[in-house]
Amino acid sequence: MDDPIAQLLSRIAAQDRIAFRQIYSSASAKLMGVLLRILGNRAEAEDALQEVFTRVWLRANRYEADKGRGMTWLIALARNHAIDRLRARRETQSGDEDAMNAVIDTAPHAETRLIAAGEVKRINQCFETLEAEKAAALRGAYLTGTSYLDLAAQFNVPLNTMRTWLRRSLLKLKECMEQ
Amino acid sequence: MTSAPLELPEHEALAAEYVLGVLGLAERTAVESRLKREPAFAALVHDWQNRLSDLNDDYAESPAPNLLPQIEARLFPQTVKVRRWFGWAAGALTAGAIAVAAFVMLPPPMPPAPTMTAELSAEASPLRYAAAIAGDQLTLTRLAGTDAEAGKDYELWIIEGDKAPVSLGVLTAASVTIPAPQAAAGYILAITLEPKGGGPDGKPTGPVLAAGPLKTI
Repeated sequence: MDDPIAQLLSRIAAQDRIAFRQIYSSASAKLMGVLLRILGNRAEAEDALQEVFTRVWLRANRYEADKGRGMTWLIALARNHAIDRLRARRETQSGDEDAMNAVIDTAPHAETRLIAAGEVKRINQCFETLEAEKAAALRGAYLTGTSYLDLAAQFNVPLNTMRTWLRRSLLKLKECMEQ
Repeated sequence: MTSAPLELPEHEALAAEYVLGVLGLAERTAVESRLKREPAFAALVHDWQNRLSDLNDDYAESPAPNLLPQIEARLFPQTVKVRRWFGWAAGALTAGAIAVAAFVMLPPPMPPAPTMTAELSAEASPLRYAAAIAGDQLTLTRLAGTDAEAGKDYELWIIEGDKAPVSLGVLTAASVTIPAPQAAAGYILAITLEPKGGGPDGKPTGPVLAAGPLKTI
């Protein structure tokens, strides 16, 4: 399949600095969107963006094109870095209020936007097979990097209940997507 | 017909939770070290990354400022940074002379007495360290400044001439004593700001926060 980001990553792995500039102009807006959504603050998101692209240069040789698309790899890199920052922040200042409000709004507009674009993907059909509350928790967790601890507080259930909910929902999602 | 399992196997559930992003810091660190050792586990993480990747459509793009100059200055230090280190080293030789003398005149904590010392600082940074090599130990003492911000570490490097910096490790406390590296007068000690755990691939990536040359007493 045509994957320009994957091609740029393989050139970057060979120390191609022009490819590095190209990947910045192709992907920085998307990665900025990811970092902003998770970190919720532009100054920190810009700091994180520098870190993420530093890692893109240093780790491009670890990207394997047969294991996923280039953009998926870039977004995973950005999400992981943002979530690590979020956790470091959360665990130094306990009882953070931001997290409580971060998730709720994510479920509906994702779907409306995709339906409007006429591309309802399999994952969205599969989300519809889950109970609404669990689908919202799962989608919100992915998009904002919310921890089990904060999800449990937000949905007002014990942490173990949240863990059981999400693990069962993940299994259902996997089975649905394999059909 | 076989009935579907009620739960994901434990290691797959963990892989899915890691990708979902719900784990705490300690659990994430544990998963990341497993990823390096266990290819089968890494494959599960890849599968979940791909399985959930259509959710990425929901991240709206947001224009980013052009941060390439800063990023390239961090990544390609041979052309920019080393020259700056030498600039600071020259500065430290004059401006730092008094401070080095003051440090040397402190009563030596224990024999053997230091044979080499350095004062580490940089113009735009509040961090200052004193370093002393005595026998087979190097002691680094913070004189001014604070711990690295959350998610970051200070990393100590030694640089011989125009060779690549060699890491002496991440600083875990304000003052540390470590085995002394191979060193001679004129070698530069430098401290950079790095991601937690130190610069990836053993190379400095962050800004130099303090640097100075070793001097024989």
